[in-house]
Amino acid sequence: MIDALFSQPDYVAAKKMLDATVLRQEAIASNLANLETPNYQRIDVAPSFSNELREAVANGDTEKINDLQPRLEVDANAVAANRDGNTVQLETELMNLQQNFLQHGVETNFITQDLLRLRSAIQGQPQ
Amino acid sequence: MIDFIPGVSTTASALTAERIRMDVISQNIANANTTRTPSGQPYQRQQVTFETVLGQQDQADSASGSQPRLIKVARIQSDSRPPRMIYSPGHPDANAQGMVAMPDINTYEEMADLITSSRTYEANLAVIHTGRSMTMQTLAIGRRS
Repeated sequence: MIDALFSQPDYVAAKKMLDATVLRQEAIASNLANLETPNYQRIDVAPSFSNELREAVANGDTEKINDLQPRLEVDANAVAANRDGNTVQLETELMNLQQNFLQHGVETNFITQDLLRLRSAIQGQPQ
Repeated sequence: MIDFIPGVSTTASALTAERIRMDVISQNIANANTTRTPSGQPYQRQQVTFETVLGQQDQADSASGSQPRLIKVARIQSDSRPPRMIYSPGHPDANAQGMVAMPDINTYEEMADLITSSRTYEANLAVIHTGRSMTMQTLAIGRRS
């Protein structure tokens, strides 16, 4: 019964996106760590994840959202900037880092607001 | 043990690797004029080589897509460039023709490497800072701001 409170598509989707954001942070950490490793290929969260998530949210399919697992894969579009075959670019990666951080803030805020709204509904009084 | 900060082991490996690289660079600059090492030869410039490795817990589930990679110093090897010959007959290490074999170390090259290394170090510190802030945000879920 109480499960119903926490299985709205928006809330489940926000949790999944939080998972993906943390995974992307790990990918960025890996990319920046290997900034100067020859032949390193940059990795990122698979683009198929966001497409599938968007589709599932549009259909309001909570089950499907729950089953989605973000995974990392080699970024096939990245090209090596110089001859050592490394596809990481410092500036882009630092931008991604900041963007990812802000995204994480948005998601945690969203979840917090959702929980606070539930609480005020339960208590029946304005906060 | 859970990594509370995402990507912390990867970043830690990078900081260690860059630290070693800076050590080697400072060793090169310090020995720019060393004509005699324990082997009796002039000092040879040293160079680090980086390689990626899979983290321990990552090896188990590496089948499920790409995993974040750690970095380590694969080896520290001698540069093969020949010594510079300098005419200095009074030098104790001069040969019969009065030539001294000096290490071929270009200080500008080493300084440029040092700056690159320190920038990479800074970039990795930025990752740690951001990761820490993310963890604090996660811990604040459900709290009234």
